[in-house]
Amino acid sequence: MENLAQHAEDLYCPEIATITRVETLTASEKRFEITMPGNRPLNHKPGQFVEVSIFGFGEAPISICSSPTRGPSFDLTVRATGRLTDKMHLLEAGSQIGIRGPFGNGFDPQDFKGRDMLFICGGIGLAPLKSLIDYTLDRRNDFGRIIILYGTKNPAEILFPEEIEKWQQQTDIEFVMTVDQADEQWQGHVGVITTLIPPLELDVKNTIATVVGPPVMYKFVLMSLKGKRIPDENIYLSLERRMKCGVGKCGHCQINDTYVCQDGPVYHYPHVKQLEEAV
Amino acid sequence: MSKPRVAFFDFTSCEGCQLNKLNLENDLLSLLELVDIVEFREAMDDKAENYDVAFIEGSISTPSCVKRIYDIRRRAGVLVSLGSCAVLGGVNAMKNLHPADWVQEAVYGDDKYLFPSIPVQPVSAYVKVDYEIRGCPMSTPEFLHVLKSIVLGRKPEIFDHAVCVECKLHENECVLDKGMFCLGPVSRAGCEAICPENGQYCTGCRGLISNANVGGAIHMLKRHGFSEQEAKKKLQMYSSLNKLINEAECRHA
Amino acid sequence: MNALDEKLNRFTKYKISEQTLRKFIDYLKQQAPVFAPHHNGEASYSYECVENSAEVVLSYPRTMQPLKKYFLPPREVLLNFNIKDNTFSKPEIIEETRIFFAVHSYEMASLKRLDYSFTQGHVESNYVSRRKYAIFVGISYTPDESHFSKSVGIDVEETEGFDLFLLPVGDGYFLLEITDTGKRLVEGFPGLAAPDTTEIKTEPLQFKSKIKYHHNRLPAVFDHVYKSKVWDKYAEICVGCGTCNLLCSTCYCFDIRDEVDLDAEHGTRTRYWDGCMLNTFAEVAGGENFRGSLARRTRHRLYRKFKYITAKSEMLHCVGCGRCSHFCPVGISMTDIVNDLITDYEEKQNKEKI
Repeated sequence: MENLAQHAEDLYCPEIATITRVETLTASEKRFEITMPGNRPLNHKPGQFVEVSIFGFGEAPISICSSPTRGPSFDLTVRATGRLTDKMHLLEAGSQIGIRGPFGNGFDPQDFKGRDMLFICGGIGLAPLKSLIDYTLDRRNDFGRIIILYGTKNPAEILFPEEIEKWQQQTDIEFVMTVDQADEQWQGHVGVITTLIPPLELDVKNTIATVVGPPVMYKFVLMSLKGKRIPDENIYLSLERRMKCGVGKCGHCQINDTYVCQDGPVYHYPHVKQLEEAV
Repeated sequence: MSKPRVAFFDFTSCEGCQLNKLNLENDLLSLLELVDIVEFREAMDDKAENYDVAFIEGSISTPSCVKRIYDIRRRAGVLVSLGSCAVLGGVNAMKNLHPADWVQEAVYGDDKYLFPSIPVQPVSAYVKVDYEIRGCPMSTPEFLHVLKSIVLGRKPEIFDHAVCVECKLHENECVLDKGMFCLGPVSRAGCEAICPENGQYCTGCRGLISNANVGGAIHMLKRHGFSEQEAKKKLQMYSSLNKLINEAECRHA
Repeated sequence: MNALDEKLNRFTKYKISEQTLRKFIDYLKQQAPVFAPHHNGEASYSYECVENSAEVVLSYPRTMQPLKKYFLPPREVLLNFNIKDNTFSKPEIIEETRIFFAVHSYEMASLKRLDYSFTQGHVESNYVSRRKYAIFVGISYTPDESHFSKSVGIDVEETEGFDLFLLPVGDGYFLLEITDTGKRLVEGFPGLAAPDTTEIKTEPLQFKSKIKYHHNRLPAVFDHVYKSKVWDKYAEICVGCGTCNLLCSTCYCFDIRDEVDLDAEHGTRTRYWDGCMLNTFAEVAGGENFRGSLARRTRHRLYRKFKYITAKSEMLHCVGCGRCSHFCPVGISMTDIVNDLITDYEEKQNKEKI
């Protein structure tokens, strides 16, 4: 115990960071730019998360939606859906906020060098994947094709419209999106995200598929990918659970023998394929 | 920021929850620093037109109750139901288990036509309820917790686990083990297990946990020497409107 | 001489009467705070700080809360904060010597498991600070209808982790010196005669509660019973009260909540014991519950005890204290569940052979 004591950490103390920019994305989602004390970089990997805290309102795990290749500040896209996130939506630039992390297993983009990248994002699932999308765009020559499939419930819920417009115009990105329910102005695809997968022409052996979305989406997307004959070992998922402590202790995020806050949220699909409670 | 305007209303109930608030003593003064109480029949005569927070005590049991609760909902920003009668129908709702005529006559005799009555329902059966504070009477620490949360603009935590959790956290000796009846294993916590802590059994005044295994609970009580009839009756005391209890079957002898 | 007796006979030991033993507790109290089992209510026991050595219970089946309450308190303030100016402080945890007296071997074994859980990956300072200078005096016990520690490989006389150990003999005890720390405590106590050289002969204790298989085979059983019907059988009577989690000596899951004072300015970030048997434990922000059914929750609880953490730590995370069985209001026994799983496993194996 005494030798371990040297490595003991104050695991639950946040650092007080500053919100340096707030952008309203949709009726229920905002993007916050966070700057750590002394403008130090967070040193995160795409796909990792932080525990955000506001005293009196608790903590919540939030995925980092910006790439580490872009500046020392980082972005969080937050849907107002709970005690902490509702309060966060009331905060303005200049407000202080507690940060612990980065935590968890992220993507290792170096492992994907030379591969075609297929991003499948459902709803707010675009936020965590955006950190990897931006990474691949910033190192564009390291990767093959970049295909982004994005589905939302309706056009009003589309996140990052500015970025999406850029992606649509860029010739080296194949961006397709769909909505479950169209409105009067909508002229694009209508239907669930899985309808976008069959028409794709892919070099399946060389394609890395990354999937993030609401719990109900995974099963159907995985079936479609199987239909496309994408090998399981080319598939990565990011799973959402209630990661309360972020450090593998509190037990809330455990799926079978794996702690999402430690071994995930990003999982290599073969690791979670057999876990009944995973997808 | 101006202080939230808070009002208290009583419907069909013993008004014990409201009296319980007056028992806050020292905390009552701190509370008045946080909010303005604009209507509170138990303690004052003032009446207000609208309220940031309306606390509702009691169940809905007469046509005039229905009219009044709609009216209050229209004037209230946040509406909180307070105590078992308001949240669950509570003890009052036991009358629904009997024919309405019989109940009317038993209570009012020949004057029964002067007092129109409808089956008892919780407040949430008629209007949107933002938060619920359970208990008979409501627990004052929980009341303060919800009020503080509303003042801060946060959702209060409302627990949905069994009284056993709080009992075990306090390391109370199990009253079932002492041969007493207890509904703690399936009843909602939030009361800090105040009854078992003081040697009394849990009567389930805060209602059942969601997803409660009522058949299992009856089996448990039989194992401790109580009849199925007694188990069901006591489960129904506060939760007679809970369908799980009426549908429950004890599949184990 | 059997291996256990051989081991016990290697320790230096003293014969000590109960009266002297209580004087020894008084002596220990002068060195550091002493915590020991006390009566709690009519028929329960709990560890308490010793005020009067006469009140210490030396023969008891088990306390209600396990010893973990001193290292992972049921309610613990992690941070004190100020909402208005966004500042916080971590309450200081005094790293002090504490003596835990008359502790059973399964309890000591459970601390070894908690040590693993709080030091693998991230090392938690709160736990380590409380644990670092703890001293343990063990005592053997007579198994009741719920103990089954022998079935998970922990002898009643297992001395691992203890500094001193007490074995009842005649109308008194043998006090065994296990570690140098224990030896130093004994040396400072004037009430003892010279070391005793009588040979220790333990009587094999009968456990009424048993698991059918040797504990080495349990992880293999758990490889095959994930989809067993046994989970549904127990889910039918389990009421999901969480008692088994909360009183388990190796469970360590927790919840963290912010609590605000009446001034709406100061508050605490506090952690509470939590349990995977509770309905809302695996709920996520959107309201989806990943382990909604009692069958799945029961399965998760047992897999945490016999497989998930065991595979990583090479220790079964059930120590056979019998708290979950003894305090279960429904009367579900851990050994019954495991034995049913073994039966199911055997049936499956037989079918495969045919």
